[in-house]
Amino acid sequence: MFPVLLFYIFSLAIIASALMVIFSKQPINSVLFLIFSFINAAGIFLLAGAEFLALIMVIVYVGAVAVLFLFVIMMLDFNPDTIKKEVGKHLYVGLFIGFILFLEIILMMYSPELFSYEYQIVGNTVKTSLTNTEILGNLIYTEYFLQFQISGFILLVAMIGAIVLTLRHRDYVRRQIVSDQVARDPKLSIELVDIKLKIRK
Amino acid sequence: MVIELGHYLVLASMLFTIGVIGVFLNRENVIIILMSLELILLSISINLVAFSSFLNDSSGQIFSLFILTVAAGEAAIGLAILVVYFRNVGNIEVDQINKMSG
Amino acid sequence: MPSILQDYLPIVIFMSLCMFITLLLILPPLLIAPKNPDPEKLSPYECGFEPFDDARSKFDIRFYLVAILFIIFDLEVAFLFPWALVFGDIGLFGFFSMMLFLGILTIGFIYEWKKGALEWD
Repeated sequence: MFPVLLFYIFSLAIIASALMVIFSKQPINSVLFLIFSFINAAGIFLLAGAEFLALIMVIVYVGAVAVLFLFVIMMLDFNPDTIKKEVGKHLYVGLFIGFILFLEIILMMYSPELFSYEYQIVGNTVKTSLTNTEILGNLIYTEYFLQFQISGFILLVAMIGAIVLTLRHRDYVRRQIVSDQVARDPKLSIELVDIKLKIRK
Repeated sequence: MVIELGHYLVLASMLFTIGVIGVFLNRENVIIILMSLELILLSISINLVAFSSFLNDSSGQIFSLFILTVAAGEAAIGLAILVVYFRNVGNIEVDQINKMSG
Repeated sequence: MPSILQDYLPIVIFMSLCMFITLLLILPPLLIAPKNPDPEKLSPYECGFEPFDDARSKFDIRFYLVAILFIIFDLEVAFLFPWALVFGDIGLFGFFSMMLFLGILTIGFIYEWKKGALEWD
């Protein structure tokens, strides 16, 4: 009973905060609601038994991706009050597609065989002695070798792409180059000049 | 009263619908469109995890992990493009990005 | 109650206690405290004078670059966790699989170092 209650609390929070993400006026509020919905999704994953994924979800999404969104919003420096909401322009297309998708949900809810598998996901007891993380680890690096390497390449492309797109060195800044400083030789930088002093009598 | 596969699928499809509507609704702000894409990817992850628990097969969770990787890369590159675009043009309205359409 | 939820029961109790105390601190002032706002009270306060400019000040793009590189290496560490747990079971192939992955990301790290993305001038 208690896990079922938790499931409903988490899913209600996810849906409500997802609605707030797309409807709120300020982008900052959208990001904060996005974070909230990710935390609740981590709870949903936990209920389904995916512990490792839930915690990685919190670390990666809440700790990194949402911070990235926050940075961009702070960096772009646009005032949301000046953006006029032209809601009516694309609203009908959006509502039409949303209506079709919603119809599919209703159809799914009325198909009783989906709810009659006699296999409960929330509250499913794990049979093996291995933990969730160990089960994943046994598969990722050997069974899914190719996908693992591809995800490595995706990370590489993301890193290089981000550097190429955003890195601009400013020319007027004089940088400290430590190796040049260390390699500096007194013979090259100091010039000894004999100055003949004429003492006037 | 138990939670089965159907409950998870309904939750995921509702989240997917909200994400799709968000893409259409926020035409003047690309950042919220990117956030809607994150919501859609989240709903797919929920689907994968639910089926992985239902079929008692961990592959779904592994692919969910790969989806997470792809989502992070997508957010990084998308936001980088957005930053460069904003620096060149000065706004981020989707409807005004039509210079390439001739 | 199944085992996985028993393991996480302390966290659930902790979270609900957090929420309870937070609501206890927020709600009574909202209901009880007297409110009679006027424009002077509601205006932004900046050491006694009018605010000079907008609160939204531009960030440097460098912060964004650091955040992106943080995400990449965060995911790398996320993949390292299960590898470290099952290190004895997956054999030599699993070891070199991870080494290849780390090698790919090291190429990116060298590129980033050489481009000077880590310098802060």
